[in-house]
Amino acid sequence: MFQANYFDGRSTRVRVVNLSVAGDDLIIAGEDIDFRIPFTDVMVDERLGRAPRRLRLKDGTFCEVRDLDALDTLLSSTAHRDGWVDRMQRHLQFVLFSIVACVALVVMAYKWGLPWAAAKGAHTLPPAIGRTLSVQTLKLLDGKILVPSGIPEERRQALSAKFHALRLPDGGTPHSELLFRSSPQLGANAFTLPDGTIIVLDDLLTAIGDDPQALAVFAHELGHAHGRHGLQLLLQSSAVAAFWTLYIGDISNLLAAAPAAIVQARYSQDLERQADDYGAALLMQNGMSPALLADALERLAESHSGSSKGGYLSSHPSTDDRMRRLRQLGVSFKNK
Amino acid sequence: MDNVSESESRSHASSPRAPEQLHFTGNGAEYFGIWIVNLLLTIVTLGIYSAWAKVRRLQYFYRHTEMAGSSFDFHGSPSRILVGRVIALAMLIAYNYSVRLRSPLTIVILVAIAVVMPWLLRNSFRFRLYNTSWRGTRFHFRGTVARAYRVFLLNGFLTLITLYVMAPFMHQRLKAYQHDNSWFGRTQCSFHARAGQFYVIYLLLLVTLVVFAIVIGFSGIGGAFAALSQAQRQGGHPNPLAAFRALAILYGALILMGISIGPVFHALITNLIWNNTRVGEHRIECNMSPRVLIWITASNFVLVVLTLGLFIPWAMVRLARFQMESVRLLPAGDLQEFVAAEPETIGAVGEEAATAFDFDISL
Repeated sequence: MFQANYFDGRSTRVRVVNLSVAGDDLIIAGEDIDFRIPFTDVMVDERLGRAPRRLRLKDGTFCEVRDLDALDTLLSSTAHRDGWVDRMQRHLQFVLFSIVACVALVVMAYKWGLPWAAAKGAHTLPPAIGRTLSVQTLKLLDGKILVPSGIPEERRQALSAKFHALRLPDGGTPHSELLFRSSPQLGANAFTLPDGTIIVLDDLLTAIGDDPQALAVFAHELGHAHGRHGLQLLLQSSAVAAFWTLYIGDISNLLAAAPAAIVQARYSQDLERQADDYGAALLMQNGMSPALLADALERLAESHSGSSKGGYLSSHPSTDDRMRRLRQLGVSFKNK
Repeated sequence: MDNVSESESRSHASSPRAPEQLHFTGNGAEYFGIWIVNLLLTIVTLGIYSAWAKVRRLQYFYRHTEMAGSSFDFHGSPSRILVGRVIALAMLIAYNYSVRLRSPLTIVILVAIAVVMPWLLRNSFRFRLYNTSWRGTRFHFRGTVARAYRVFLLNGFLTLITLYVMAPFMHQRLKAYQHDNSWFGRTQCSFHARAGQFYVIYLLLLVTLVVFAIVIGFSGIGGAFAALSQAQRQGGHPNPLAAFRALAILYGALILMGISIGPVFHALITNLIWNNTRVGEHRIECNMSPRVLIWITASNFVLVVLTLGLFIPWAMVRLARFQMESVRLLPAGDLQEFVAAEPETIGAVGEEAATAFDFDISL
């Protein structure tokens, strides 16, 4: 038997009562109260630390219990069982396991879950969204980071013509637009907007030199466009930003993320390999060797060495591996 | 005889009953178990459990807060909170994408959100108060929808066109709307702070911010940014060291502001609000020390960062203890005589939408 406060739910009057169990019944007895009810009609609050627990009766009245140990003793003589979440919260091993599991799950979600979901999302979103995003991004970049191209008109037209004459591995022709720009900040670079528009910068064309290698780079970028990697990356960075917003609680920078994410796109090795494979297939489809892309990468690597600017390759990791793979494809292409 | 009884009754009326100090009895280690299990289950269920987690969190804090020997309680139902969260998430996505993709739809979505918001906020007050109880008697919020539109839309508009000169006035109106329409059972609360008192605190905030900005200006951030923009004009790549320096000063200043000016403002405005709120004839005294709040906020921030978040439960408990224990109720009569009102049912949509859009209405 132990004391608790009884409240009738209609006023704030405190009534001190004694609680005890007889058979299957709870007995509540105090100054002007004395009744018993079957324990199956009593709802017991789960344990939350050392907070008082309430025994709630069906008519909205309840007993507020502060003597938690006495309540535990009383409960042990009834059919009451603690909920599983309650037991987890108090179990030291489970709490330690939870810490490890939380960290592991977050890491796994970031490494595998997020790219998978973003790729699915990028292929499901209506193309209109990619187009609007690209128009917005280009508007933001033009005149700030990007300036008009200095490449002679004839060379640009010739390159465009060759680009649009390419046959895609699925038999079609590129529906991507090819835009020429220059940028002191971005240097020798080319990137793909979410709708597949390819932007090639002057320095890249200068570094590469000949047209077949330029086409090889375009083929690689068409791989990114085909895989919708730009949109995927954008979704990924939005999701990460949203996560930090929830975790840290700051909403401000969520909106400014889009243009930055596209320019600084750091594709994973996996996405680069996908784009390389697509580019290689595309080149072979057009009777060109995949080795051309390797050559282009090599030229770019040379032009980058000694320059502090992060260029095309800084967002394209482990260039040596990629060149090796492409050259192997080139050898098998020649032998056919 | 008459004289005696009169002086007796006067002394009875004026002799104040003992103030009832609020106490917080939770502790960090205990809350850690609840917090980490909440986190794990939320991740495993892809966020669905977060509604149940929220109820557990609020119940932990409410039930560990006690006044006059009885603790508070939270009654919100997780499934209602979940529905609220889904709607809030949908609104948040609509908002983000409409801002990012400027299309004809953008203006429609923004207007729709602005029109729905006052109604949602009013519902959020209702949900939160209705699900709060002490000694089995629930709180209620009875503010009308019409007044919500006036408080949020009209005053919000006035604040914008007067370049925030009206912000303290709007804050006072918001608090008056909230507290004048709050009930504990059948006892109505009232709010007595005047707009002038809000202006004093806001003016203090403004002066501090200006001084702070001047100090930052002298700290070399201007030079760092000038160097950066000059490098950009010359077409060169910005010096990474200069960029790092500028960002470090900027973020340092923001963090410093968050853990110094922020808490001082919070303490002063919270004291003002609660010292001028009454529950029926019972007065409230709130005596939050700005100095202690700075210390708690700053040390919490450092420890949460150093422990990569694991300190969060202790930080929350420390802050709750400090906040609760700076509040006292000055009873004007017997605390046993509050009478409960008729039961109602109220959804959580407003509360969740309000949290998702990061409106700080918890003062």
